[in-house]
Amino acid sequence: MLTFAFRKILTLLGTMIGIAALTFVITNIAPGDPARLVAGPNATEDMVATIRSEYGLDKSLPEQFIVYMGDLVRGDLGTSIVTTRPVLEEVMRYAPATLELVFVAMFLGIVIGVPLGMLSAVYKDGPLDQVTRIFSISGVALPAFWFGIILQLMFAVDLEWLPVSGRLPLVTRPPEFVTGLLLVDSLIAGKFSTFWVSLQHIILPAIVLSFPCLASILRVNRAEMIEVLQSDYIVAARAHGISSFRIVALYALKNAMLPTLAMIGLRFGWMLGSTVLVETVFDWPGIGLYAVSSALSSDFKPVVGVTLMIGFFFIVANTLVDLAYAWIDPRLRKA
Amino acid sequence: MTALLDIKNYRLDIGTFDGPVHVLKGINLTVNRGDTVGIVGESGSGKTVLVRSVLGIGPRNAKVVEGSISFDGQDITNLPEKDWTKIRGIRISMIFQDPMTYLNPLFTVGRQISDVIAAHEKAAGTGVSSKAARRTRTEDLLDQVGLPNPSMLFSQYPHQLSGGMRQRILIAMALAGKPDILIADEPTTALDVTVQAQVLDLINSLVEKLNLTVIMISHDIGAIATVAKRCAVMYKGEIVEQGMTQDILNRPQHEYTQRLLAAVPDIDIAPEKVAAEATAAKPSKPGHLLEAIDLKKVYRSQSGADFTAVNSLSLSVKTGEIFGVVGESGSGKSTLARMLMRLIEPTSGDIIFDGQNISGLSGEPLRKMRRHMQFVFQNPHSALNGRHTIGDAIGEPLRIQTNMSRRDIEARAEALLDIVQLPKMFKYRYPHELSGGQKQRVCIARAIALNPRLLILDEPTSALDISVQAQVLDFLQELRSELNLTYVFISHNLAVIRQICDRTIVMKRGEIVEQGDTEQIFMAPREDYTKALIESGRKTSQAANLQV
Amino acid sequence: MTAAPMNTQIDTPAEASRPLTFRERHASQIRQWRLYAHMFRKSFSSMLGLTLVVLFLLLAAFGPLIVPYPEAASGAINMSAKLQPPSSTYWFGTDEMGADIFSRVIIGARTSLWIGVVITGLAAIVGITLGIIAGYRGGWVRAVIMRITELFLAVPGLALALAIVAALGPGITNCVLALAIVWWPGYVRLVEAKTLSIKEELFIESARSIGAKTPWILWHHILPNCMSPIIVKMSMDMGMAILSAASLGFIGLGAQPPSPEWGSMISVARTYMPDWWWYSLFPGAAIFLTVLGFNLLGDGLRDILDPRSRDR
Repeated sequence: MLTFAFRKILTLLGTMIGIAALTFVITNIAPGDPARLVAGPNATEDMVATIRSEYGLDKSLPEQFIVYMGDLVRGDLGTSIVTTRPVLEEVMRYAPATLELVFVAMFLGIVIGVPLGMLSAVYKDGPLDQVTRIFSISGVALPAFWFGIILQLMFAVDLEWLPVSGRLPLVTRPPEFVTGLLLVDSLIAGKFSTFWVSLQHIILPAIVLSFPCLASILRVNRAEMIEVLQSDYIVAARAHGISSFRIVALYALKNAMLPTLAMIGLRFGWMLGSTVLVETVFDWPGIGLYAVSSALSSDFKPVVGVTLMIGFFFIVANTLVDLAYAWIDPRLRKA
Repeated sequence: MTALLDIKNYRLDIGTFDGPVHVLKGINLTVNRGDTVGIVGESGSGKTVLVRSVLGIGPRNAKVVEGSISFDGQDITNLPEKDWTKIRGIRISMIFQDPMTYLNPLFTVGRQISDVIAAHEKAAGTGVSSKAARRTRTEDLLDQVGLPNPSMLFSQYPHQLSGGMRQRILIAMALAGKPDILIADEPTTALDVTVQAQVLDLINSLVEKLNLTVIMISHDIGAIATVAKRCAVMYKGEIVEQGMTQDILNRPQHEYTQRLLAAVPDIDIAPEKVAAEATAAKPSKPGHLLEAIDLKKVYRSQSGADFTAVNSLSLSVKTGEIFGVVGESGSGKSTLARMLMRLIEPTSGDIIFDGQNISGLSGEPLRKMRRHMQFVFQNPHSALNGRHTIGDAIGEPLRIQTNMSRRDIEARAEALLDIVQLPKMFKYRYPHELSGGQKQRVCIARAIALNPRLLILDEPTSALDISVQAQVLDFLQELRSELNLTYVFISHNLAVIRQICDRTIVMKRGEIVEQGDTEQIFMAPREDYTKALIESGRKTSQAANLQV
Repeated sequence: MTAAPMNTQIDTPAEASRPLTFRERHASQIRQWRLYAHMFRKSFSSMLGLTLVVLFLLLAAFGPLIVPYPEAASGAINMSAKLQPPSSTYWFGTDEMGADIFSRVIIGARTSLWIGVVITGLAAIVGITLGIIAGYRGGWVRAVIMRITELFLAVPGLALALAIVAALGPGITNCVLALAIVWWPGYVRLVEAKTLSIKEELFIESARSIGAKTPWILWHHILPNCMSPIIVKMSMDMGMAILSAASLGFIGLGAQPPSPEWGSMISVARTYMPDWWWYSLFPGAAIFLTVLGFNLLGDGLRDILDPRSRDR
């Protein structure tokens, strides 16, 4: 089990290097002279040349790559043109907001998706199954940005139950920084009113973000449950007199959880990607919004920084899923 | 005395797209306490559906049209699910065909058995006993079915055990509730010959020790005869004949039973007629068509350990003979067959076909050589591409190896269908519309399309029903004399080998244990392994049981 | 398992001397298609999906011919009619330039179809080719292809596409290109896995034993047996590609106004919230129904094409 974990962590490092290489390639597919782009439209030929040597753009691509990797290892993701601050610092500042949003959304997705999937499998082709089928496919098909706007219209503008956007009202002082997750920090600080306010703020974006995730977890879990329930060992368990409830809730669920886990890992990454939409709609100060606003002002370094960061979170999540797999499935432990 | 299990005029339909299929047509069967009843039938006879109905775990879309099943005086035909919990696994329990797929891979063996015990205690209303008590009981059960070291087994997972051990665990699980009736659904089919004999012995000893009532279903008459005193023969959803096993084996009344019994190859009968024919068919110049010299195949596993599948093996096949290769699973016989065909690259050694060393060939010369030797695979169900029509499948070798026009290929495909005794119309059909025997004929037609000189047959009948096996074997012998073919015939079934092979090698762990004329090997085996193999083969053969 | 005795044998006319009719020769296929149609018709959601997709295709084909204000697509300005609520003249209302939103939504179908077809098509061609090679060849070829594929899959698609568009510059062409670049790895993984399992089937060995060359085996044996999941995935991906392109349009990196692209319409409309709600409602509904249609269709196709749910 330990060597298994060790191998997984090695793979993780390898993938990180790969992603870094990928972002380097993307940086270099940009058309035109990057030095001129940085220098601005009114720069003279001399200024462009200065910038070229300053940024090391006059070196060959392999050399540039080595420099780039060296910077990454030292945690240097470059500087934002707009804010003139180090990208790493800004990404670290925005990341907790995104993670908080993703965690809450993932929680909703699992807590609702898995039981619903189970129930629709057990009552296959029944009314509940028909409803969840339409519901789950709609969930994947809903444009997150549009759905967000509709929810804002209904619950924030019309009914005024929940705030329209943001993480906390401007007047509320954020709790002392511990984890960066407001829900957690406010509890640690004992400020329940702040907890309540931030909970109100996170509900709508979390629902929008979790909807497709919930839908696909439901579908995978349903499909796997159906397959497992037809398998020979379930037939055998029934023949040996094990109660239906125990068969579904214990035996079959554990077997069906394996592919569901894989889907959860996959959807985690997908959610990180979708934060660029949801955070834009809800003005949520996370790395998604940071990436979008940087991209719109042609500030490229932060976009790369966020891509790297999202890739990193995703790989970590997948590694955790792999470990959970091995924990559940004894056949994998030896391998 | 009322019967323990009474099935009366039971009729069952399964709904399909093409309308209802009558799977069971008026079954009448009575089982008394202490009986051992066998149900013999080939695939599609409805025997599995019947016994599963007895446990209330029949197919989803099934509908009982008429009749009833009663157990110990209680009608269980349409019992609600909650009442089943008092019967299933406790009063009637079941062991299954393939012990791998019937054990949950994610739970330990001990956990699965003690869960069954807990479920029974709950159903009985006695309250669930402690974990330790259940563990003791589980280990007792494991011990009872002859498994060594139960306390270690308790915390092992199914994938760590062999097939025979898993089957014993399933039996232990079935015995957990001290059942009135034990149903055994093809309990030996997925196992090796020697293991089969052990499992049958175990069932017999349990019947004696625990005074069990057993219903065993199988396609293997030998296995049924070993266990069951009474037996019923099922054919196309009906019981065509039932009575004492002895009587049925000795004096079968129904035409189907007679046909079935005649089809079982007998390990103890020397096939005089065929042997004579083979000698007659021998060409005037009996050269060696195929030789293998010092053939070796080593696989390297991911952990770096070497596994020798075939070890320094030499053989020579004479032109015109049927050369048998017999061995249990894992003996390397399939690897050997594929190496002779160059489908697997040998690690070292030479293969000489018709005087030419073919072990170094590659590319175009290898492709050309393939015309002269062809392969017939074990499982006709997966040897045909489901997306090609039969006509395409038979024509494929011609399209690949010759420049024949489309029309000529069509004509040749029809002629080949004729040779393998299938209607020409079949060229428009798809494999899934054909039966197993028909599919194997198509595979043979495909193999002989290029007029090869040598056919390598890898267990060509083991995926087929017994009566179909007999037909295919007869047909193969006819074909050989018609087309002057040489066969290398691979099988785990000794009776089949004896029936058709001229010379035979016995393989074990990649090496030849014994070789010689087939008759000589069967009459006077020199090696212990061969003797043991023939002995366990005899146990599952019908003739030996008749003499009991 | 229970070997349900499915008797699919088709009655064969006795060896007929007359040439067979088309129906007789193709009885197997006809039965298969009738079975497909039967299973598909039985499912409400599949039929709904098919209806939505057909409607979408019709609008994409004939939309520009039937809309009331065709000039709305090209950014015609009619300030006197700006931001009108839905009415009998303007069914979906008008935007800030006075253009008819109904016309723009209908004409947007063609843009979306184009986006979906190009992304899915490019991704499928590249992905299937690489996947089948990786799966069949194995060894270092597979290792290289799969490593690169996994690398692409290790970054969430939308985030990667965003980075690529940011590098290439905003615009509909770059957006489609970026999405195609992040989309192919999914096909590689699907086809490679499928190829690996088909490769082990006896009929592949059988084809090798009669001397078939690798291209023949790939084309005649492996590809046809991969097709079911590919068709299902392509149907689903049509929807998801349209959705992703609309997402980039919404962020402001995809299609640029006044191009009638649904995502970029919502991007502009967002600034007119909440008072001019119709502006974002209708383009969004169009995206939703289109994506829903392709997903339901793909789901229905999976039910009938998936060999696990079919009798074998």
